[in-house]
Amino acid sequence: MAPPASAAQVPVTVLTGYLGAGKTTLLNRILSEQHGKKYAVIVNEFGELGIDNDLVVNADEEVFEMNNGCICCTVRGDLIRIIEGLMKRKDKFDGILVETTGLADPGPVAQTFFTDDDVKARTRLDAIVTVVDAKHFLGQLEQGSEAEEQVAFADVILLNKTDLVSTEDLAKVEGKIKAINPYARIHKTQKSQIDLAAILDKGAFDLARILEFEPDFLTHGHDHNHEEEVKSLSITSDRLVDPDKFQKWMGALLQLRGGDIFRSKGILAIDGAPRRYVYQGVHMMMDSDWGVAWKAGEKRSSKLVFIGRNLDGDNLKRGFEDCLKQ
Amino acid sequence: MKIDLANPAWHQTLPPARTITADAPVAACAFSRDGTAVAFALGDGSVRRLPADIAATPSDASPPVHGGAVLALVADPAGDGFVSGGDDGRLLRIGADGAATELFSQKGKWIDHLAAHRATGAIAASVGKAAVVVKDGEVREFGPHQSTVADLDFSKDGSRIGCAHYGGVTVWSLGQAPNGGVPPPRRFAWRGSHVALRWSTDGKFIATGTQENDIHVWRMAQATDMRMQGYPAKVRSLSWTADARFLYTSSQPVFTAWPFSGKGPEGKPPLQFGEEGAGLLSVVAAHPTAEFVAGGYDSGELQLGDIKSKRSVVLKMADGSAITCLAWSPDGFKLAVGNDRGDLLVVDLRR
Repeated sequence: MAPPASAAQVPVTVLTGYLGAGKTTLLNRILSEQHGKKYAVIVNEFGELGIDNDLVVNADEEVFEMNNGCICCTVRGDLIRIIEGLMKRKDKFDGILVETTGLADPGPVAQTFFTDDDVKARTRLDAIVTVVDAKHFLGQLEQGSEAEEQVAFADVILLNKTDLVSTEDLAKVEGKIKAINPYARIHKTQKSQIDLAAILDKGAFDLARILEFEPDFLTHGHDHNHEEEVKSLSITSDRLVDPDKFQKWMGALLQLRGGDIFRSKGILAIDGAPRRYVYQGVHMMMDSDWGVAWKAGEKRSSKLVFIGRNLDGDNLKRGFEDCLKQ
Repeated sequence: MKIDLANPAWHQTLPPARTITADAPVAACAFSRDGTAVAFALGDGSVRRLPADIAATPSDASPPVHGGAVLALVADPAGDGFVSGGDDGRLLRIGADGAATELFSQKGKWIDHLAAHRATGAIAASVGKAAVVVKDGEVREFGPHQSTVADLDFSKDGSRIGCAHYGGVTVWSLGQAPNGGVPPPRRFAWRGSHVALRWSTDGKFIATGTQENDIHVWRMAQATDMRMQGYPAKVRSLSWTADARFLYTSSQPVFTAWPFSGKGPEGKPPLQFGEEGAGLLSVVAAHPTAEFVAGGYDSGELQLGDIKSKRSVVLKMADGSAITCLAWSPDGFKLAVGNDRGDLLVVDLRR
C-alpha cells in the first residue's frame, strides 16, 4: 500500500502578479534567505531571476487544452513534466513555487493540480498568491483583464510598494481589491518584505481547512459593488440541501459557465448527512469531500461563494434555492 | 537454456535476485551492449554501475556525474558503457571505467529522454522543444517543436527519429537535404499531449501514450491512425515485441497486448492475460527475442508473462514502492528493475 497521500504531497504555491509588481524580488528573497527550508522555484522563460541556483527550473508555459471536449479545461503541460522530474531527485522539497508571467491567467496552472493524477498524487495546490503593485494597479485595470483576474483568483494578496503611494490612494486600491475579491487575505508590503509563513503552506485548497483559512467565511456576506465586471458573490441558506439536485445544478452550471467562474467554494448542510459537505473549484474543475461533523443542536447552514466574471446573482440564487429542501 | 513458466518452481519460490539499496529514486536502467554490466540512473546525480552477474561482488557507489537528478539512461550503442541525461542539461557518455565525457550540454534545459540505435551508433536526446542526435562525434539539432519533446525513438533502420509532443508526432529524417540542411519533417497530427512514444520493431508503426489515458498509433506507410481507449491512467510505458506482432501497454492490472499482425488491432479487443497484479502496471518490457514480457506495477509487484501460454508468474511481491524502470539483458536471461525508493534489482531467470 502507498503511504497516505497527504504525507508525501509537496505543497505548491502559485505566484502571480502583473509585470513589475514584485514577484521576482519575492522569489529572490525566498531563494536567498536563511529559513532552513528547501523550495524549488519554477520560473517562466521570460523571468529575470538573478539567482543561478539548481533549485530554479525554467518553464515554457505550455498551456494546452485537454482533449476531452471541454474548452476551458486547459492545463500546463510543462508543469506536469517538471513536477514529475523534480520528484526523481534525491533531495525532497518543503515546497514548490510556480511563477506565472505577468500576463498569464492562473487558471491553467491551478487546473493542472485538479486534472493530472500523477501530479495530484505527489503535490497539492496550496494557495494562489498575487502580488499587486499599489502604485500601478488602478492603471493596470484599465489596460486589460489580467490584473483583475489575478486578484480574483488569489487566496493571498501582497499589496506591494505601499511606500510609493499616499494613504488615500492605498485605501482606494485596497477597496478595489476587496470589491473584486473580499475573500483573499491582504498583506501590505514594501519591497515584497513578508514573513514567508504568511504566504507559504496556507492550505487554501485544503477542503478540511476552508473554515480555518477564512474565519469570517460563515459570518459575513460581501455582496457589494454590483457594477464590477469581475466580482464575488455569496449565497447562504439555513434550509437543508438536496444532494442530488445540488450535484445536478452545480455540474450544469460549471459546464455552462465554468469559463467565467474563476473560483468557487462552499460548505453545505446536506439533508440527512451528519457532516458538512465542502467543495472547491477552479473554473470547471471541482474537488469535494465530507468535512467536520455538525455538533448536536448546532444550527446547520450552507454558504456558497463564487468569484468570476459577469456573475448573475439572481440566477445563481434561484438555482441554489431549487436545490433546497422545503 | 530456456525460460519455461510451466516449471512448477516458478510458483514455489521467487527466482534468484540481487538487490542493492541506493538512497535515491531510480529513473532508468539498462544493460551494457556486451551484457556484462547493468547501470541505474539515480536521483542523486550518479549512475550506479553493477556487474550483471548477480553472484559477482557489487562495486561501490559511484560519485555524482550530473548536477541534479539523472533523468534518462541508455546503453552506449558505440561501446560497453552508458549514456545519461540529467536535469543539469548535460548528455554524458560514461565509459566502462566510469569516466564521464560530455557529448552535449545546454544550460537551463533538462535532458529527460534518450534513445540509442545500436547499428548506427546514434544517440537521440530530448532538449526542451528540440531533439539532438549525436553520431560519430557530430551533434545535430531537430526542432523546435510546438512544445517540449516528451519522448523520442529511432526507426528500425536508424534513419529517422520520431518525437512526441503536444499535437502529435514529428518524424525527422537524419539524412542530409540536397542543400546540406535538415530535410523537412513529416508530421502526424492528433490533438492532445503525447507523453510516450515507441516506434515498432518492424518500423511500420509509431505508438504514443496520451495525457488523456489512451494510446494512438500511426501507420507510417499510409499515414492513417488509430486510437485505443479504456485505460484508467496515462499510458507511459509502451513496448513492442521483437517480432512486432504485439504492442504491450502499461496502466492495466494484467498484461495487455494489441495485435498488429494481419489487419491490425482495429475493432478488436486487446489480448489480456496473466494473474491480476496489485495496482496497475507502471512499466512493461517485451523480451528481446522470445514471447515473454516483464511488467512492473505501481505497487512494486513484478511479473513475468508468456503470451503463448497466457500465463504469468510473480518475480517480486508488492512492497509499496512503484517500479519505475525495467531492462532486459541482451541474452534475455536477466532483468534489471528499479523503483522510486532506490532498490536496484537484478533477477536471474535461468532455473
